[in-house]
Amino acid sequence: MNYGYMGKWLKVNLSSKEMSDFDFPEDILRKFIGGKGLAVYYLWNYAKELEKKGVDLKEMDALSPDNVLFFSTGPVTGTRSPNSGRHHVMALKSPLTGSIGSGNTGGTWGAKLKFAGYDGIVIEGKSDTPVYLSIIDGKPELHDASEIWGKNTIDTTKWLQSKHERKRAGVSCIGPAGENLVPCAVIMNEIHRAAGRTGLGAIMGSKKLKAIIVDGNAKPQIAKQEEFETKVKEHVEKLKENGVTGEGLPTYGTAVLVNIINQNGLFPTKNWQTGVDKEAENISGETLTEKYLISKHPCWGCVVACGRKTKVELGPYKISFTEGPEYEAIWALGGTTNVNNMGAVIRANHYCDIFGMDPISIGSTIAAAMELNEKGLIPEEDLQGLKVEFGNPDAIVELTWMAAFRQGLGYWIGEGSRKMCEHYGAPELSMSVKGLEMPAYDPRGAKGIGLNYATANRGGCHVTGYTIAAEVLGDVDRFTIEGKAELTKTFQDFTSVVNSSVNCLFLTFALGLDEYAEMIGPVTGWDVTTDELLKTGERITNLERMILNKLGISGKDDTLPKRLLEEKMPEGASEGQIVELEQMKQEYYKLRGWEDGIPTPEKIKELELEI
Amino acid sequence: MKIYVKVFAYLRQKYPHVNDLNPLELDVDENATVEDVIKKLDFKPEEIHLILLNGKKVSKSELLEDNCTISLFPPIGGG
Repeated sequence: MNYGYMGKWLKVNLSSKEMSDFDFPEDILRKFIGGKGLAVYYLWNYAKELEKKGVDLKEMDALSPDNVLFFSTGPVTGTRSPNSGRHHVMALKSPLTGSIGSGNTGGTWGAKLKFAGYDGIVIEGKSDTPVYLSIIDGKPELHDASEIWGKNTIDTTKWLQSKHERKRAGVSCIGPAGENLVPCAVIMNEIHRAAGRTGLGAIMGSKKLKAIIVDGNAKPQIAKQEEFETKVKEHVEKLKENGVTGEGLPTYGTAVLVNIINQNGLFPTKNWQTGVDKEAENISGETLTEKYLISKHPCWGCVVACGRKTKVELGPYKISFTEGPEYEAIWALGGTTNVNNMGAVIRANHYCDIFGMDPISIGSTIAAAMELNEKGLIPEEDLQGLKVEFGNPDAIVELTWMAAFRQGLGYWIGEGSRKMCEHYGAPELSMSVKGLEMPAYDPRGAKGIGLNYATANRGGCHVTGYTIAAEVLGDVDRFTIEGKAELTKTFQDFTSVVNSSVNCLFLTFALGLDEYAEMIGPVTGWDVTTDELLKTGERITNLERMILNKLGISGKDDTLPKRLLEEKMPEGASEGQIVELEQMKQEYYKLRGWEDGIPTPEKIKELELEI
Repeated sequence: MKIYVKVFAYLRQKYPHVNDLNPLELDVDENATVEDVIKKLDFKPEEIHLILLNGKKVSKSELLEDNCTISLFPPIGGG
């Protein structure tokens, strides 16, 4: 067994109900680390196997038994290294986008999976009846889930913890949205934490897998304990001294970004018609803290504690306890919809948590529906009397639960903005890339994030390469396109290392590649350098891209919605800007060693990806 | 001359009622800089990470103009 790992991965075939353990050889662990990296390695080999069986990957239904779910941790997960309770989930194909499925989540489940004795789980096939998986003290078992099928994530989690008499066990599960195969469905853990993008919950629902409960007392072994403890101490100190991780995030949560992004004129508003929300103060982190916060809630092993326990005391959206919302959810449900009502945002976000949906895709799709309706493109009978208008708080609350249960216009909200806008005859109003709704930064106000959205493998995603840290929160000129190709590539490759380690991306506000080498080295016993790590990140990004190419995705899909390329930002601090994507993209491809979005044979060889 | 100041995140611990919708109105000298305003508001220089003057990123030495709006941010991040 290798240090840092539990040395066991579980493969479950839900069609045959067969379960078996396997492990990866050390050279593969070192080349892909864990988490996202090993998931990509597994999916690449799995895709080749499917091709050998004659499956056409481009045509394959993401909800067919052929799709696969891969839950994974890394060598750092579950150690005393800070913020290491996370895990990564991937699927060969997303039901929302047709590209790869991918989500990274906080909570406690990642650490608890290792304590249960496993590094990760592969789910293949499809059960005829609802089941759940338990891994308690190293023993995996499948159980009938008919009693919890239909339950929300709160009731499911509590039922499972009670049934197994493990009140602190980790539970990953789907809500009704996943069961109803809603393409925006997520996999939730600890009730309020989501592997939240690309519709992973619908894949779990298609396999009739309701939940995975994990618990145990095993611990990963550390190769160089003393050196590791010293570095942990140093890293925690750096996190506490840093203004972002030591004060901004702990005090205000991620929602602290609302005002700074809005003041810079890149807070997408009214379905990205502008970057200025004149009442964003009402949905800001400062307002959340002052009026709605109960307390902070850290993930497992976290020294930052950006999570929020919240309540709405008065009014129609009253709720005595929930968690969140995060910055992205606030923006999607309350900013791009121009609702600016924190109570309604908290209520709609709560519905996303308990019914199991992605608030970014749901909120963005509601905003697109509002613009479709503004343009008179949704027939009266589809609206069913609901005022689907910018600024209407009831619309976001109603349409969110309707999406989970596929009711009325909610059916199209749950399908995501690309399918909905195509259905109503205005595909250009879907503010998505590769079918994934973009998050809360208008790239007309920060060009690098535009290149990242266009090239990110899973689609319109900020956490694939968060250049905002440099362009808005740091000192890099946000409007220039010069140097943005290199900036984006570096952010993307470094993030692949973080998501393979697996720990929290927020660490990177205070810790760089040097510190990642200082974590991974003593944990695994490998003498890793920063160059090796960055190369590993590049390898993972490229192999993921090679899977995309098999799914039929290439340069033509590395683009942005027309609005961002052609319509000048109409007002505010980013007024007059568009995204000059093509020049950045060509420079990026050159740096990556890609031709038209496809890694060249030379690049594949250089990265030892002839596998 | 008259200027408007907005403060964000934990800078509001000193000015709890100043926000985007309710900026602080200040009278300053003709040749005043951002730095003068930071001193006047009793912030330490290291508390201020990002300064926007009418939405444009500027340094502490930037000269102010009549009726301008300054937004002051401490180090913050998220995502």
